[in-house]
Amino acid sequence: MSVASSDTLVPEQGRDGATIAVLGVLAGNEAYGVPLSSVREILVPPPLTEVPRADEYLLGVVSVRGDIITVVDLPKLLQLEVVHPEPYGRVLLVDNGQELIGVAVDSVIQVYRLEPHQIEYATTMGTDLSDYVVGVGRVGNDGSSSDSSDMLILIDPVALLGGRA
Amino acid sequence: MSDPRDNVQQEFLAEAQELVEALSRDLLLVDEAHHRDERVEPALINEIFRSVHTLKGIAGMFGYKHVGTVAHALEDLLDDLRLGRMPVNQGLLDVLFDSVERFQRLLALDDPQAPGEETGVQQYIEAIRNLGNQEPVQPGDPVEKYAIDPDVLGVLTEYEEHRLRACVREGLPLYRLRASFDLVSIDDSIEALREDTREEAEIITYLPSMEGGNDDTIELVVLLAARVPEDELRALFEPRYGKVDPIAERTHLATLPPRATSIPVLSIGPVAEDGGQASLRSVADSVRVDIRKLDHLMNVVGELALVRSAVNRLVDKFKNDLTYRQSMMDLDRIGRGFERQLSELRTGILDVRMVPLGQVFNKLARIVRQAARENEKQVRLVVTGASTEVDKLIVEELTDPLMHLVRNAIDHGIETPKVRQGVHKREEGTLALNAYQKGSNVVIEVEDDGGGIDPHALRDKAVERGLISFGAGEDMSRQDMLNLVFLPGLSTRTEVTDLSGRGVGMDVVKTNILRLGGMVSIESEPGTGTKVTVTLPITLAIIRALIVNVSSRTFALPITAVREAIPYVPDEVRTIQGREVITLRGETLAICDLARLFGFRRSAPRGDQFVVVGAMGNRELGFVVDELVGQEDVIIKALGKSLSSVRGFAGATDLGDQRVALVLDAPALFTEYFDDPNAFRAMESRP
Repeated sequence: MSVASSDTLVPEQGRDGATIAVLGVLAGNEAYGVPLSSVREILVPPPLTEVPRADEYLLGVVSVRGDIITVVDLPKLLQLEVVHPEPYGRVLLVDNGQELIGVAVDSVIQVYRLEPHQIEYATTMGTDLSDYVVGVGRVGNDGSSSDSSDMLILIDPVALLGGRA
Repeated sequence: MSDPRDNVQQEFLAEAQELVEALSRDLLLVDEAHHRDERVEPALINEIFRSVHTLKGIAGMFGYKHVGTVAHALEDLLDDLRLGRMPVNQGLLDVLFDSVERFQRLLALDDPQAPGEETGVQQYIEAIRNLGNQEPVQPGDPVEKYAIDPDVLGVLTEYEEHRLRACVREGLPLYRLRASFDLVSIDDSIEALREDTREEAEIITYLPSMEGGNDDTIELVVLLAARVPEDELRALFEPRYGKVDPIAERTHLATLPPRATSIPVLSIGPVAEDGGQASLRSVADSVRVDIRKLDHLMNVVGELALVRSAVNRLVDKFKNDLTYRQSMMDLDRIGRGFERQLSELRTGILDVRMVPLGQVFNKLARIVRQAARENEKQVRLVVTGASTEVDKLIVEELTDPLMHLVRNAIDHGIETPKVRQGVHKREEGTLALNAYQKGSNVVIEVEDDGGGIDPHALRDKAVERGLISFGAGEDMSRQDMLNLVFLPGLSTRTEVTDLSGRGVGMDVVKTNILRLGGMVSIESEPGTGTKVTVTLPITLAIIRALIVNVSSRTFALPITAVREAIPYVPDEVRTIQGREVITLRGETLAICDLARLFGFRRSAPRGDQFVVVGAMGNRELGFVVDELVGQEDVIIKALGKSLSSVRGFAGATDLGDQRVALVLDAPALFTEYFDDPNAFRAMESRP
């Protein structure tokens, strides 16, 4: 199940002109893109143990081959107004620069390779976005699609997960 | 474990640290002997010389220039010392003790070549030189004219050394005999040799040679002083024992510089080599292991336990199926054997992690000496239980808090000799470090016979600082007042003249000890002394735990904190100021409903529950749980950084089947309940 061993791995923060591989995931109604290089593994959710008195976005802990991993609820962390009718589809093991964090998402879409012209960086968008939003990836056929379902919100896992740690 | 260079660096630092610790330990022994006016063992001086020599060698290899320079200068000094060219005195000891601090500082530098240290190092070397100059060089030792390896001289017993000198003074020439002996009868054989040759030669000492010999025999190098001419000696020994060689006299003695060179005076003969190899061999009996490697092994053991439980499940599944019954029974039996071995493996790994507390105590002994000198106080250090073993990780984390305690005891506890005289105490204060094992805890006491703490002064100070309200201070028990010492920001004066107080750092001590899963408590009697008791778990990695269920969730409670479990009878619950209590054997026991504390909805009706009575130090608290599952050894794992702000959990453990149970942090829960009542009540009032 490890993606690290697959051949789809390319540099995360590609220099201009390089392709970036991101893992598209669904959280609520929005599609997010996580740099593939920071995703260690995609798990079918193991039995979760809740941690009393922890922040609400912290779902609890799971054991991954003997290591205790903290799992965060991505939609809650992103403060999306979503009610989950169903349990989480997948848990991503993401390196936040300090430790491995389990990130619970509704489902995994696929791995995308984004060409430079498909990426719109947050700095050029002028809207008031959180610091963990790197930009937007247009994943339509030719990158010019205006359909928002073909839009990936690219997030920086270190800013998103490390900042709160 | 990433960068191999880092690894090498770590290896060096670990080894250097050990050498410096050995140096410090040996110096303390020398110091002790010196103070008792006893003769300092030459072997000890030799050991110190060796530590410094090795340190010099490895420092050079790893580019620790300053460490190398200091070690080199010390080596010269020590060489003089062990060859008896310089007596042991206070000034010398001060310089040597200073080297320990200096090495430690230099080793802690990020840049081992830091130019900023140059001056300090130069000054120190100057101090060493001055020391050498003050001491007149003693007229040559008669033995020095022989090229005997210092290593050999170093291991001579007092008697042997005495005989050696006596023989040399008598003018008897020295010889070296190499002979093989049967291992089984070696003692008798040597005695026989001694008897046989009593008239012709005196056997001064013998050392194993590492060259000759096989499984059953050992080759010895025997040092002889001969009373007969060489040919007669040869005729006596060579046919029956082995080859005899004269030990050369130094011819260049007169031209030898008065203060020795950095090269130890070596003979080129086999004796030198043998001595060196013998010591190498003894060192090789132990290995230094990165603690992370042990953690990894422990993880592997954990994994194996999971495999075992998976096999168990299979057995359970098929054992009622007649087709497989016999095989399953066999498998079950094999599984049991496997489990036993696994448990032994785990015990073995745990055992490797254990180190004696003496390691910490040696460091503390140095602090005691230093603090006593700085404060011009006389302190006698009494250590018991230095061989008590605890987990390596704990030992490391323990040094700082204990150092605080020892410093405090001397800075603020033990009085100056004058004051002590005034109150009819011995001028010399006593500081006791006691360690002992108590169940699966280790208890360490730091006790002084100093001025003690006035609890009321402490309380008044806390009120004055606004740390507690005046009202709260009014109805405090004596013990509660003393416990105020652990409050952050409380620095009290126990005497009017004392500028800083015992409160300094005590909150830090408490925090550190709590982090290790331990407790710290204080007892003090004004005028008589103070005792601080630290209670710690023996190991962090694996704990025996009571597994309990609370609202269908599983928790592990370290058994070290559990005294007993009793049925919970709702009718017997009373409240005191809103807190629930029950009466247990005539005593009031505060209880804490875990379901309510954690904000769970109750699943079991109140009535079928249990109270697990926890004890920490001299406090007791009952935890109300729904179900007692049983006792289990669990591998405790840290929670991730994201959860570090959540109070009440020491970690988590995998119960097999990928199920995780949180391990309750008993000390933290106790602290929360007793020391932070407001936070706790707010928690309790949750629906």
